[in-house]
Amino acid sequence: MLDGNEDLTVGEMLRRHGISRRGFIKFCTAAASAMALPPAMGQAMAAQLRDARRPSVVYLSFQECTGCLESLTRSFAPTIENLIFNIISLDYDDTLMAAAGEAAEAARNQAMQANFGKYVLIVDGSVPTGAGGAYCTSGGKSAVDTLREAAKGAAAIVCVGTCAAFGGIPFADPNPTEAWPVAGIVGDKPIINISGCPPIPEVITGTLLQFVTTGKVPDLDEHLRPKVFFGNTIHDRCYRRPFYDEGKFAKSFDDEGARNGWCLYELGCKGPTTYNACATLKWNGGTSFPIESGHGCLGCSEPGFWDKGSFYSALSTAAWGKAGETSPTKVLEVAAGAVVVGAALGAVSAGVARSRQNRQEHQGDSDEPKRG
Amino acid sequence: MSRLAGIPIRIEPPARVDGLGGGVTAILHEIVTLLERLATANEPSAIDLRSLPMSPLDRTELKRALGEGEVQATLNAEGISTIQETRIPGVWWVEHRDPQGQLIAELIDVTYVPEILARVSDEIAEGARALREQITPTAAVVAGQRGNSAGRQ
Repeated sequence: MLDGNEDLTVGEMLRRHGISRRGFIKFCTAAASAMALPPAMGQAMAAQLRDARRPSVVYLSFQECTGCLESLTRSFAPTIENLIFNIISLDYDDTLMAAAGEAAEAARNQAMQANFGKYVLIVDGSVPTGAGGAYCTSGGKSAVDTLREAAKGAAAIVCVGTCAAFGGIPFADPNPTEAWPVAGIVGDKPIINISGCPPIPEVITGTLLQFVTTGKVPDLDEHLRPKVFFGNTIHDRCYRRPFYDEGKFAKSFDDEGARNGWCLYELGCKGPTTYNACATLKWNGGTSFPIESGHGCLGCSEPGFWDKGSFYSALSTAAWGKAGETSPTKVLEVAAGAVVVGAALGAVSAGVARSRQNRQEHQGDSDEPKRG
Repeated sequence: MSRLAGIPIRIEPPARVDGLGGGVTAILHEIVTLLERLATANEPSAIDLRSLPMSPLDRTELKRALGEGEVQATLNAEGISTIQETRIPGVWWVEHRDPQGQLIAELIDVTYVPEILARVSDEIAEGARALREQITPTAAVVAGQRGNSAGRQ
């Protein structure tokens, strides 16, 4: 909720909370590391962040399992407390906030009105459109209506998790609720997809931090994911890669090869076609990642991972890369055209407005979700 | 098998050159380049160890190859950080931990003294102001002293 500190810079908030310059440099060094930026960027980030304004953030949860929020609350660099209390102004999150019911709805409306055009909208979960949106409602409104209303005043939309980014598990065949990713509903705003089931917590907080630091949408890949985190495959950065190059593969989960830590490719590892930062950032405070724990990558940050056959079939034999390349990808192609990568938000907004106008002129406007 | 520790797991390291993994050797070569740059152009730099695909064994070997130097500093700011000089002058192994003790950043800093240890002029001026305030008697204390001396007369 609005706390009266909206006009304070990040630096002023940090001083208010007694965080020293060294503590702040340390925080920025860790954040730069999490974002795979050069170590020297930590100092530059500290200088920029100190004078940055804290953006209002509205977090909406739709058709999801709350695993993404569970992941976010376990971020260690920056910690969720540091992010919420110092870097952003989290004005609405129905799971984390103390208020409930009408008080919570009022807080969201107040934040959206006070920061119209400037707030960051985070969406977690896919958006069901079947039965008039009745599969997911809150406060008497369907998810699809809530999203459209909240998107109007957003500077950018951050889709947290594979459900919001690509439809996720609810989108899986036969998609009984007619679920759609956010990009299938909103086509006129910059969208940043942070996919993963769940996403790595530091990827979520790092993307928000980068947005606050630069005021810009980061460079995105063809699936609208930040390149700093999704620029390499798991395979590219895997510590077991030398075994792949040597042709040493585990054939089952308890054979000699598995015990020797050989490559899990033949056991279905999707690392070669999965773009994410698990192999470098790792999970649980940098403890390990699935491959380090002896299990192949499921490819959970890729579109359609749920409909691509067995997790335990080798890439060379599975349908991976063939199935699931239908609607979500096409939806993203539409959204990608609406985002000018790396440009200032104002320029992005103007660009997407023109793009939307052009589409309207050519196709006619419709409130129906884009079906790819 | 009744205990997890009883499961026989042996991690085979990748092929090694001169006892070091390829990744470790590459990092050592990079450190040499960065040291030369520091010596000739006075340009500090750093390597983010968490961005490299290193196995726990690689990390141990890199630490062993660099050794420990004379200086170790502990910084207590939003968690403990250790800044360890290595056997190689100008090469520091820096570990930052959060208040819960989790490792949040690990760097090889190639510099004369890591910047996080130094104070900046604003902080020095603020320190001088705070200390002056501490040793300057407050108005109430001064008034009290005057009252006491008047009473003695």
